Amino acid sequence: MLKLSKTERTAYKMILPYVLIIVALIIILLSSNVYLSFIDDQGNLTFSNYVEVIKDPVFLIMLKNTVIWTIFSVAGQLLLGLLVAILLNQIKKGEVIYRSIILILPWATLDIVAGVTWKWMFNDMYGVINDLLMKFGFISDYISWLAYPNLALTAVIIANIWKGFSLSGLFFLAGLQAIPNQLYEAAEIDGANAFQKFTHITIPQLKPILTTTLMFTTIWTINYFPLIYTMTGGGPGYGTETFVTYIYRISFKFLDYNKAAALSNILFVIILFISLLYLRSLAKEDA
Amino acid sequence: MKRSQRKKMYKILSYFLLTLIAIIIAFPFYWLIITSFKTYPEIYQYPLTYYPHTVTFEHFKEILRLGMGQYFVNSIIVSLGTSLLSLIIGIFPAYAFAKFSFRGEKSLLTSVLLFQMFPMVIFLLPMFNLLKNTGLINTHFGLMLSYLPFTTPITIVFLRSFFIEIPKSLEEAAMIDGCSLTQAFFKIIFPITLPGIASVGTYTFLFSWSELLYSMSLLLSKSKQTIPTFLSLFVGQYQTRWGPLFAGSFLATIPPLIVFIFLQRYFIKGLTSGSVKE
Repeated sequence: MLKLSKTERTAYKMILPYVLIIVALIIILLSSNVYLSFIDDQGNLTFSNYVEVIKDPVFLIMLKNTVIWTIFSVAGQLLLGLLVAILLNQIKKGEVIYRSIILILPWATLDIVAGVTWKWMFNDMYGVINDLLMKFGFISDYISWLAYPNLALTAVIIANIWKGFSLSGLFFLAGLQAIPNQLYEAAEIDGANAFQKFTHITIPQLKPILTTTLMFTTIWTINYFPLIYTMTGGGPGYGTETFVTYIYRISFKFLDYNKAAALSNILFVIILFISLLYLRSLAKEDA
Repeated sequence: MKRSQRKKMYKILSYFLLTLIAIIIAFPFYWLIITSFKTYPEIYQYPLTYYPHTVTFEHFKEILRLGMGQYFVNSIIVSLGTSLLSLIIGIFPAYAFAKFSFRGEKSLLTSVLLFQMFPMVIFLLPMFNLLKNTGLINTHFGLMLSYLPFTTPITIVFLRSFFIEIPKSLEEAAMIDGCSLTQAFFKIIFPITLPGIASVGTYTFLFSWSELLYSMSLLLSKSKQTIPTFLSLFVGQYQTRWGPLFAGSFLATIPPLIVFIFLQRYFIKGLTSGSVKE
């Protein structure tokens, strides 16, 4: 018989609503997806949903887009976030104002608002981006940013870096501020230059938060839907279609529920794999 | 001194770069605001104007005439409901995770951390079916319910980090004084963690405020829909009406902007602690 101590009983009582509502809900939703993905229109058991979605040429296109979208967005957000965090860490006067403009403004902007603003800025005729590029002499003709797959993908990635880099910036800033000053002072006494201090103190000290930020940003970027939906709707053609916009299109535009469920399960396994990898690396750091 | 000179140079360089970055980052927002104050001829004018030559409020009047007020109210109902429900469900598990050790604690906590990472889109269809079968589709309560799997885990992680910091001696002292655990919780713990509770509540409020995918798919009638859906309707049209769209976008961003500026310190603490264990 399972014997519970008094504190255990209290703890379970407190956790119960979470298990009954959230865990149960997620289990219901997940099993619903599993069930739907293995039946056909007539309700017969089948594997064909998985076979068909993977065989569909769009599958590879959107997989490639998802990889490009994720790698470049994450790299851009982390680098810009790190740069801003380092700069903000250097100054005292006006730090709050700079931080509010650079890190808070894009973060607080609604996803859809970011989407429509960038869509308008990338407009081929009246867009300010073409106008500025023209003024500075980078281009001689207006570019139809959202009309070509590669350019459209570039455009949504730029917009996404703007919208999302705050989080890495804030994470890194919190990490930098936690590095004890004595480390730098000691290094200075030993005659270390700025670059050496950066590679030997800043980067190693930031490493735990770097891993965390990398994993969170990667997963959030893969999951991020509204920006692409508003700016291009996954188009032109399937030029900016990623996993999440594709699932949405299959479910709510093509109304092919079984295939959507199959795709959802594939994405779920991918995300689960990355998350578990991350949790394991956390556990390792702990040990 | 050479070193102090170099330090000064770094500082000047930092300010210069930060100013440059601030201008670039703030630009889209600046563009959003000025476009919402431009007249239509000026929006489509060539060459582009970098500030409104004639300031107009017509787009703001138009967006209110189109019923933004109702969407605003709906957004407040859904966001408030979601953050309250997540708090009610999340606060006790957060406390249990922070203060007690029990069998299954690790796997339950792992489930919380994992749930944060799930993509919303994979649950959209089953959620739609579930709400349809229970008659909750196209209701505010149904939408709140659909947000809970995503807002409750972050609430738990967030609050747990606040509870962990409360010294055990404080509760023990309260219990020696004759308080039960429940009394200790409400009289001692709750007031101390109120800033944390307020900020995670605000965080989930803003999550629902901004959420587009579920709100546009699960609320079908116009009288129920929220602001993001309202704004998305403009994009879907053949000819996007940029003026009212930007006026509405500007209005919708003001509340989160104010909140973020005031509560950023708590948000950062709660978010970063989600990754850092004990």
